Amino acid sequence: MNKRFLMKAMLSLALALPLAAPVAAQAEDALARVKAAGAMKVGTETAFAPFDFIDEAGAHAGLNVDLFTEIGKEMGVEIDWVTLPWDGVLPGLEAGQFDMVAGPATITKARVERYRFLSPIAEATVALLKQAGDDSIQKPEDIAGKLVGAGKATAQLAQAQAYGETLPGGIETREYVGFNEAYADLAAGRIVAVANSLPNIAYVAQTQPDVFAVVKPAFGQPSYFGYIGTKKPEDQSLLDAVDAAIIKIKEDGRMTKLQEKWFGTTFETPNEVPEPKV
Amino acid sequence: MTLDFALMADKMPEILSGLWVTIWTWLVATILGAGLGFLVASARRYGPAPLDWLLKLYVEVLRGTPFLVQLFLLYFGGPFVGLRLEPIPAGLIGLTIYASAYFSEIFRAGFEAVPKGHVEAAQCVGLSRGQILRRILLPEMTMLVLPQCVNMAIILIKETAILSIITVPEMTGVISAIGSQQYAFVEAMFLLAIFYWVLVETCGYLGRLAEARLSKFRFAVP
Amino acid sequence: MSWRLFELMLWAAGYTVLLSGISIVIGLGLGLLVCAAKLSPNKALSLPATLFISFFRGVPLLVQLLLIYNLLPAVGIMVPSVVAAVVGLSLCTAAYQAENLRGGFNSVPRGLIEAAEMVGLSPFQQLRRIRAPIALRLTLPALVNEAILILKASSLISIVGVIELTRMAQNLAASTYKPLLFYSVAGGLYLVICWTVAGGGSILERMTKAGRT
Repeated sequence: MNKRFLMKAMLSLALALPLAAPVAAQAEDALARVKAAGAMKVGTETAFAPFDFIDEAGAHAGLNVDLFTEIGKEMGVEIDWVTLPWDGVLPGLEAGQFDMVAGPATITKARVERYRFLSPIAEATVALLKQAGDDSIQKPEDIAGKLVGAGKATAQLAQAQAYGETLPGGIETREYVGFNEAYADLAAGRIVAVANSLPNIAYVAQTQPDVFAVVKPAFGQPSYFGYIGTKKPEDQSLLDAVDAAIIKIKEDGRMTKLQEKWFGTTFETPNEVPEPKV
Repeated sequence: MTLDFALMADKMPEILSGLWVTIWTWLVATILGAGLGFLVASARRYGPAPLDWLLKLYVEVLRGTPFLVQLFLLYFGGPFVGLRLEPIPAGLIGLTIYASAYFSEIFRAGFEAVPKGHVEAAQCVGLSRGQILRRILLPEMTMLVLPQCVNMAIILIKETAILSIITVPEMTGVISAIGSQQYAFVEAMFLLAIFYWVLVETCGYLGRLAEARLSKFRFAVP
Repeated sequence: MSWRLFELMLWAAGYTVLLSGISIVIGLGLGLLVCAAKLSPNKALSLPATLFISFFRGVPLLVQLLLIYNLLPAVGIMVPSVVAAVVGLSLCTAAYQAENLRGGFNSVPRGLIEAAEMVGLSPFQQLRRIRAPIALRLTLPALVNEAILILKASSLISIVGVIELTRMAQNLAASTYKPLLFYSVAGGLYLVICWTVAGGGSILERMTKAGRT
């Protein structure tokens, strides 16, 4: 009898819980929602210098931070960053955890089918980073038969694997949660090279010239970096607005300044998303 | 939302190889960890006091920090002190050391639970220390520590998932990578949940079976 | 390491403690409910409870977190990163705490309950004055142990976008290129936290034991 009462007391509490659960979100227009909230949620990974990284003062810095500050000004909203490992970023976007993804991501055929890319912001062609002073790797094909690292579920990894298949003896690849871990392993000598886009590895080699060097030329197919949104109809108004802001920033010269600041060089990028080659 | 597991079915060979890595790294780390844990517990019981203190520190440090941090320290910190381990050896060593701390506590409690009278009686009839360990302590302890060892083994199955972070190609790493390639994120997570669940329940079942078996022979120990 | 970076590590450690603490408390409440359901003679209650415990103890936390973060929105429940992390940790610890509590409730001496019935305490009074306090006291060591486990398990929540102690160390290790230093500091901070909880736990145990006789 008393035992039954104990159950009842506890279970009536349990039944009350679902009432507190959040109600299902409505598919409302994304631009209206973001404007009303005054903030746009952007998902990214903070292990992709010089786009997104944690600087030596522990602050989130990079081209993305600067560029989104400008985008936010154009649109009159704040930017809320959500940072998580890259292999969690695209699932998070699909689940609706953020309004769009910074990254940026390489514009590929497979991704263009699934996501909406915004106006390209940089070149993404893949090249190799090696240890400074490693004479065994002078050109990209020297990685034949060797172990190369890249980020898990990245376009750069896919390109390295495709390139490896064209080499005699192929290559082995190792997949990291983030590129930073791959760089650390390259420095430790566990792998001979890291495959990543040229702007990224150029920045790493320039920041730590005693440790790393870029293997020229780039081996990958010419490609571009762009920010990503979904193809959900309710998201398009917001993505149109961000796209317009990016194009405006490109045309009034602010983008060139940002590229110079973070890459030490500038790229010509088309306003429209080009047909991907990879 | 629809789930499409056909996307994953094409990748079965890769998935099975990941499952195999999970199983064998788990088995090796559990067995070595239990062995090392037994050594630590024995050394703390029979060794000199300073050794006991040192090993107590070893145990408490390992139990007071996340396995992930220990693994990072070993794998990414190691090369800075000249210790450059490949992912699988690093994972095995890390997991074994981590497990040894918990196993040693299980065995320590096991040693203490054996009635003092039994040990004293054995000493009286002139058994050596090794004989006492082999004939008295171990058989009597086994029943006591077995459920906890099974419990620890189950915890270790789940800890192997963390090895993917240092690029060990075990199940979590393999399946989540396939999920990303196929854009089948949710399917991948479901598959992982089911695989681990089955592994854990199987391990628990085998443990209960072993307990039942052993309790039959409890009084037949020579 | 500069003071500024150490300060960042301390903040991250505080975040780890905060989120773990919240999860432990929610997990205790939830664990009580699950425990009650599991002890119920009604199969419709005990079976789901058994499944709940089996699932959350059988699946790695990493996978649980990803399922919560990516699956719940698909069925219309928005979960921000912090909420996903707390929900994941809470559900996981609830499963373990339910089992601990079951042990506790089962160990309340029958005589005490019978005595309470004799002096005419109502079932609710029995629960509030006798059974719950004793069961909770009996499970205190297990609760402290569980708190330490959750503190350490929270090193995985960065997978859903929460920057806690481990993730902070990882970030700073990458930007300063000093993994040994930052992972050691993170390890040290975890030790301080876990040892403090363990120490606090044994003081609490002693306090609740005092005056019992």
